Amino acid sequence: MSLLSVSGLNVTIGATPILRDVSLSVEPGRVLGVIGESGAGKSMTALAIMGLLPAGARADGAAILEGADLLGKSEREMCTIRGRDIGMVFQEPATALDPLQTIGQQVAETILVHTGASRRDALVEADRALARAGLSQEHFPRDRFPHDLSGGQRQRVVIASAIALRPKLLIADEPTTALDVTTQARVIALFRSLVDEEGMGLIFITHDLALVTGLADDIAVMRSGEIVDGGATREVFRSLAHPYTRQLFEASSHVPVRDPALRGGAPVLEVTDVVRDYLRPPRRVFGPPGAFRAVDGVSFSIGRGENVGLVGESGSGKSTLARAILGLDRVQAGSIVIDGTALDDSDRATRRKVQAVFQDPYGSFDPRQRVDTLVTEPFHLLGNEAPRGAERRQRAEAALETVGLNVADVDKYIHEFSGGQRQRIAIARALIIEPKLIVLDEAVSALDVSVRAQILDLLAELSDRLSISYLFISHDLGVVRAITDRVLVMKAGKIVETGRTDKVFASPQHPYTRELIAAAPSLSRALAG
Amino acid sequence: MEAMVSRSPGLWQRALRSRSFVIGAVLTSIIVLAAALSLVWTPYNYAAQDIPHRLMGLTAEHWFGTDQYGRDVFSQILVGARTSIVVALIAVGIGILIGTPLGLWAAAKRGTLLDEVILRANDLVFAFPALLIAVLITAVFGPGAINAIIAIGIFNIPVFARLTRAAALSLWTADFILAARVAGKNASRISVEHILPNILNTLVVQSTIQFSLGILAEAALAYVGLGAQPPIPSWGKMLADSQTLVGLAPQLALIPGLAIVLTVLGLNLLGDGLRDIFDPRLGGSRR
Amino acid sequence: MGGYFAGRLVSLIVSLAVASIVIFLVLEVLPGDPAQFILGLNARPDTLAALRHELGIDAPAIVRYFSWIAGMLHGDFGISYTYRVPVGELIAQRIGVSAPLAIYALALTLIIAVPAGVLSAARRNSATDLAVMGATQFGVAVPNFWFAIILVWIFAVTLHWFSAGGFPGWDRGFWEGIRNLTLPAVALALPQASILARVMRSSLLDTLDEDYIRTARAHGLSRGQALWRHALRNALIPVLTIVGLQFAFLLAGGIIIENVFTLPGLGRLVFQAITQRDLITVKSVVMLLVFAVIVVNFLVELSYVWVDPRLRRR
Repeated sequence: MSLLSVSGLNVTIGATPILRDVSLSVEPGRVLGVIGESGAGKSMTALAIMGLLPAGARADGAAILEGADLLGKSEREMCTIRGRDIGMVFQEPATALDPLQTIGQQVAETILVHTGASRRDALVEADRALARAGLSQEHFPRDRFPHDLSGGQRQRVVIASAIALRPKLLIADEPTTALDVTTQARVIALFRSLVDEEGMGLIFITHDLALVTGLADDIAVMRSGEIVDGGATREVFRSLAHPYTRQLFEASSHVPVRDPALRGGAPVLEVTDVVRDYLRPPRRVFGPPGAFRAVDGVSFSIGRGENVGLVGESGSGKSTLARAILGLDRVQAGSIVIDGTALDDSDRATRRKVQAVFQDPYGSFDPRQRVDTLVTEPFHLLGNEAPRGAERRQRAEAALETVGLNVADVDKYIHEFSGGQRQRIAIARALIIEPKLIVLDEAVSALDVSVRAQILDLLAELSDRLSISYLFISHDLGVVRAITDRVLVMKAGKIVETGRTDKVFASPQHPYTRELIAAAPSLSRALAG
Repeated sequence: MEAMVSRSPGLWQRALRSRSFVIGAVLTSIIVLAAALSLVWTPYNYAAQDIPHRLMGLTAEHWFGTDQYGRDVFSQILVGARTSIVVALIAVGIGILIGTPLGLWAAAKRGTLLDEVILRANDLVFAFPALLIAVLITAVFGPGAINAIIAIGIFNIPVFARLTRAAALSLWTADFILAARVAGKNASRISVEHILPNILNTLVVQSTIQFSLGILAEAALAYVGLGAQPPIPSWGKMLADSQTLVGLAPQLALIPGLAIVLTVLGLNLLGDGLRDIFDPRLGGSRR
Repeated sequence: MGGYFAGRLVSLIVSLAVASIVIFLVLEVLPGDPAQFILGLNARPDTLAALRHELGIDAPAIVRYFSWIAGMLHGDFGISYTYRVPVGELIAQRIGVSAPLAIYALALTLIIAVPAGVLSAARRNSATDLAVMGATQFGVAVPNFWFAIILVWIFAVTLHWFSAGGFPGWDRGFWEGIRNLTLPAVALALPQASILARVMRSSLLDTLDEDYIRTARAHGLSRGQALWRHALRNALIPVLTIVGLQFAFLLAGGIIIENVFTLPGLGRLVFQAITQRDLITVKSVVMLLVFAVIVVNFLVELSYVWVDPRLRRR
């Protein structure tokens, strides 16, 4: 008998249907992956099972956990089930823990709520749970506060509190999305060991196809509130029966077509021995301010039309380096030469040659301005030579057409566009003054996988056609592999490895590169093994 | 980041659907109209004494009755409305005109000495019990509406500076500001072109709140004799005069007080309503 | 944590110093010649000179400032021009009314506002919530001196439960003293409690939306338990700031209220001193009140460290 069997689950919020006829089942000792893009209803399904739907939501159908229907239970009954029979882990470790309580207290809370244990006994049990989650008592004593821990460590605390009473079912909603690749790999390993050793059932929700394929035994594919495909993971992805599954699969492994011929020429960017320090507040009241070296002697160059990837985890210094190249921050040492001229942040002529596309499509634009104003903002760097009036408008329209949007869109406001369309507008904005180099800082990371594939195609085509170089910054190795010619691997402010993308991925030299590549989820590797 | 939907056609619909906004707008309009009306007409001359008819209750000739000198209370209320509104309005103006640029500047230069200085200066002004210092200034420099305006205005400056700085700071981290910097714009240009328009909503809401606080402050100053001087009526002064007569003629204490309460209430509701309109995500009964 | 404390202490001293300079400037330098100010425009030159000498103001401003500060640190606040007694004595007498009044009003504010705000947030959109929101909406619009007049009218003039004003002194007994301070404290407390209740509600609603509440629910806590064990303490932090600011307001409001009830406190002292142009007294009382506010804010900032462990790590 299944551990959990959901059948015909419908959820509405007010008059809007959110989930339609959702059915899935989880077996003990197995992992069910729930995969889908944003808005598919994956989180809602989890919340419905837990009885934690938002106010105003109604659920009907059945969710049978070991013979009892969860949806029919009262709130009080659900309180006894949550934490004891079902544990849940959420996405954002930074905000998942009460900042005012110690980690020991928060893990012990689950125990205290459900058992009659004394406070001291509960804390001892909490230690055991924390150790099981990989936080040993000597390094992470129970009186630590959440802010003393990193993101990955906090997530382990949350996991510890979820498994403290050895629940039969664990639900994890995008638990590693906010974590670095290497941390993610370790947390995934933890999940796997919990399932294998304790015989737990795990529902693992994610949008990352490669990740779920490597972990899940069974899979359910969701779209627009419905389950469209399901079954054993390998089967589903080998047969690709449903069109949407096929679409997801192809988008995830999509490699844009590129023409390698337009390469070569004078370097567009030459970075030599760049150092960037941040000041830290002094340790003692009247002591000297400390310095934190974010970029530590970095050198590399980018040729005309060449796409170079920059990978690294958080804290590696890649964003700082990007800002220095864009002329936004001064460097303490070294030089940055753009198209033959040294970069000086007041020199508009040089700064015209570099533009940027940022990560957050929802934060990249002033919400009060229309698209024509937004797209033509870089004209400010042209000073008196900036086009005005009709010519300005024409340039804006042309830029939109280049990225595949309509001319009529120039008069709209940014909130009328989807995430993918906004990134297109961001690319149009970056292109409008015809720069030699575009810095793309996690430009596709916030996009759904199918939209991502389209944007990558667009970027590849533009790079080839217009001979623009890219500095493509990303933590996502799969994306970097798809679109770049060369790759730089950055760690703690230094470049630890560099080389042609295919070579570096095929045979990484530096131990850190090896660790990164091994940790990164790979669809092909998951399906092959 | 909130999307400020300013030119959405639903703005007026949302406005009319917000109970707070409607009631607040109605109340505020009544008071403003009363004040405006007093410029051209009042039933009686507010200073005209009529001793034989003193301390009358609400009658047909004197809608709100007469005070201890026989002066018409209704006329005094109308002119008092003008006094309160003018003082509070100009005081808010002072706060915005000086405080907002300071706040924008501090946010643009966050972390530097200038920012620290502005922050500390703010905190310092907050440390002084506002009313006490207003009392002091008006006492030292002489009572009167102008000094009341300046005293209340001085206290609006750090309020707006702090609010503007906080709102601006939260915007400075947004990617569209980064994009503007990549486009070569400097901090002051960005403050004016991008930051200010996006914090306007917050400033407007705070302005209505400061306006209502200004009305209360003006009333308090007038009560202790430091506001607009007689014969110009003001609600606070009317309350002070009514105090000893409260057993005899309670309406003299109730009416000006209610006028103050309704004005302040109206403005607060208007502010709440505006907040609802500008950011509907917060929900009607949220604040 | 030592760094935080030291930083706050430095801030305290700087604030006090700057405040004292501002007060000195406003009250001694700006009015021009204090002697002229005190004696009026028609005073004779030799009277003016004598008074200047008596007040010690024939010395340059900086010297006067430092001797004033030095004096205060020794408890010497000068001699009141009007009463010809040390200002320190006057203050000591009056503080016995003003300080208990402020504390009483603060206590009432907290007792009313915190439960009201918490209840309101816990039962969001219910009848309780709407009632509290409605009542506080009025409460913040009411001028405290008007409310005082109404209270006097109802409870003193009409019902005779309390006296209409005056304060006979603490020697009649503690509870008798409290009884005399009750109407004034209630008048002061009501608008402040209304503001605080709204802030409490708002802060708690914000906290209830946080992720760690969801985590607590996933552990099996009910909504009420999650509120009590997690949300409340987190929500109190911004509320603490407001309470600190409110103390300043209570002190200031006390000045006006003492007028309504003719209480012999610092407020009336300041008013009388202003009308009698007794600048020495005014200067000292204002400095004292500002000192109290700055110190209270300093204590509030220190209390953050106790409540919020994130501040302990440096």
